[in-house]
Amino acid sequence: MSSHEVNQTETLDILDDLKWGKIQSSKAFKLSKIKKIIKRVILYAILLVALIITVIPLWSGIMSAFKTQADLSLTSPLALPSIPTFEPFIYAWQELQRPLINSILFTSLATIFSCLLGSICGFVLTKLKFKGSNTVFLLLTLGIFLPYQSIIIPLFITIINLGIYDTMWAMVLVHSVYGIPMTTLLFRSYYESIPKSIIDAAKTDGAGVMAIYRRIILPLSILPFVVAGVFQFTSIWNDYLFALILTGAKFEPASFALSNMAGGTETAWNNTMAGTLLYSLPILLIFVLLGKYLMQGLMAGAVKG
Amino acid sequence: MPNVKIRNLVKKYGDIYALDKINLDINDGELFILLGPSGCGKTTTLFSVAGLIKPEEGEIWFGENLITSADRNYIERPQDRNIAMVFQDYAIYPHMTVFKNIAFPLQVMNLKREEIKKRVFDAAKSLGIDDLLERKPKQLSGGQRQRVALARAIVRKPNVFLMDEPLSNLDAKLRVFARAELKRLHKKLGITFIYVTHDQIEALSMGTTIAILNKGKIEQVGEPDIIYNSPKNLFVAGFIGSPPMNMLDGSLKKKNGSLHIDIGFMNYKLPNEMQKLDEGKYKEIVLGIRPEDVLISKEAVNKSIRAIIDIIEPMGREYEIHLDVAGKSIISVVRKIENLEIGEEVYLTFNDKKIHLFDKNTKENIFATN
Repeated sequence: MSSHEVNQTETLDILDDLKWGKIQSSKAFKLSKIKKIIKRVILYAILLVALIITVIPLWSGIMSAFKTQADLSLTSPLALPSIPTFEPFIYAWQELQRPLINSILFTSLATIFSCLLGSICGFVLTKLKFKGSNTVFLLLTLGIFLPYQSIIIPLFITIINLGIYDTMWAMVLVHSVYGIPMTTLLFRSYYESIPKSIIDAAKTDGAGVMAIYRRIILPLSILPFVVAGVFQFTSIWNDYLFALILTGAKFEPASFALSNMAGGTETAWNNTMAGTLLYSLPILLIFVLLGKYLMQGLMAGAVKG
Repeated sequence: MPNVKIRNLVKKYGDIYALDKINLDINDGELFILLGPSGCGKTTTLFSVAGLIKPEEGEIWFGENLITSADRNYIERPQDRNIAMVFQDYAIYPHMTVFKNIAFPLQVMNLKREEIKKRVFDAAKSLGIDDLLERKPKQLSGGQRQRVALARAIVRKPNVFLMDEPLSNLDAKLRVFARAELKRLHKKLGITFIYVTHDQIEALSMGTTIAILNKGKIEQVGEPDIIYNSPKNLFVAGFIGSPPMNMLDGSLKKKNGSLHIDIGFMNYKLPNEMQKLDEGKYKEIVLGIRPEDVLISKEAVNKSIRAIIDIIEPMGREYEIHLDVAGKSIISVVRKIENLEIGEEVYLTFNDKKIHLFDKNTKENIFATN
């Protein structure tokens, strides 16, 4: 349709409205505008309250992290530090340095493994359908609803017997396996949107299963990898229960070490808060770096179902 | 190059027979068309040849090699059959450039880089897409995508070329060009093509042999001429030709010592070569006559019947004339309509040499030549 036509129909619409008295008198028009503004004000007031409630703990945490021990007891938790100091960060870094590196290591490895395995499962379950593949998928997704707590004791015994208690591999293994149901679900729904004819074409072009996965499926999976990766990284990073059960003094994950900082008889809140900020950094970094792709991926999933 | 043999192929989806004992012999170098309405099993047949579908019964041979056998539970994998296939939606890999798309079958074969480059350029050049090699599929038009799919198929020099309605996504004008181009390609390559379509014009204009399928069964196999001029049964007669063949129900009658067909509004005297028909054998007869064999004249002539012009549809080169004969509709196709008008009374005659007689019971053509 040309712009000329659009203009014409618009003009006609307005003429129509005039004829039928649809355009209100200026007084009524003003009233409806005021109503709109009031609605907006109320909405923003509610949002502001919610924002304050959310931000206050974060704010007090950040403030505390820059305060000395003395400052902490003298000022209100929301007040700015009277003499800003980096002491708590230096202390927290010394305490958390090793655990943070540990956490980055096993979280990265487990994220990669669980995403890769989820992608392979998703590929097999959508493109190489076999008898009972839907049942397998159903059983697999049941894993999402399995609470961590219910398997803690047998898991502990298994890890001991495997001889990997208190090592990185305990964390890598458990998180990789525990991630498979979620990543499979994600990759499967994404792969459903890849047309079957592309797989058939690759087959007739001479490609075997491995070549199809490596050359066709994998390069098409950047978005689901980002989505599943961020999801997995966050949930593995934040895990505390497995860290508590499966590791000890030798291999200490950051979540566990951080809680130790807050434990004991007297908690130095400035140090703990500095530690908490350090602990949050990797996740923040990931969201800043991959946020754009993450939104794209989530939207793609939402549209394609 | 091998010929393709299909023996007693059966494929079921639940209780429905997608293929019901299909037997086909496809000679080396043919452009073999599988034609039929949607759901007739033509694509299922093609996919079975490709090895993408496992049939419940039957065998498929490439020359002396058994590639599918339901009895022995053997099915050679698609990637080992050295076939190439063009899909209805082209199935171009969206993340690869045109070059990489065409190179894909060669890369899978682990050919040398220079060899791949050379063959991709050759294939692209022969289809006129050598200037598009760096583009992504998103940046291509429908016709260009189709060429990419074709190039990807010819680049590996396959034994058999399989095509699943490759032209159905093109617009009408492009389709005419593509048809000629595919025919040229077939001649140049000399490879066996198996080509699935629901478009009878594509089938008649391109095929060296056509197999017509309906509800999982083969209705007729033959050259386009034979399919058109000597349809084996009512289904083929009705399916091929546009506008479709006129079908008139009637019964055999002997009058004045010669055989007639009573079709209600007239007694049609059978031509001499059909007089030897055993009148007791056939109860109900369907007389078929193609629209171009229904002749219109302004004055009554021998064996003519009166009709009234109902509608005139100009089709550009010719005219479709819908005639009303005692309440029945008959279509005639003529080149010229000098002085013909809607509502006018005319006389029509059938071209005696071009009438078809079908047994209404068995639906078979009584005088089928093959």
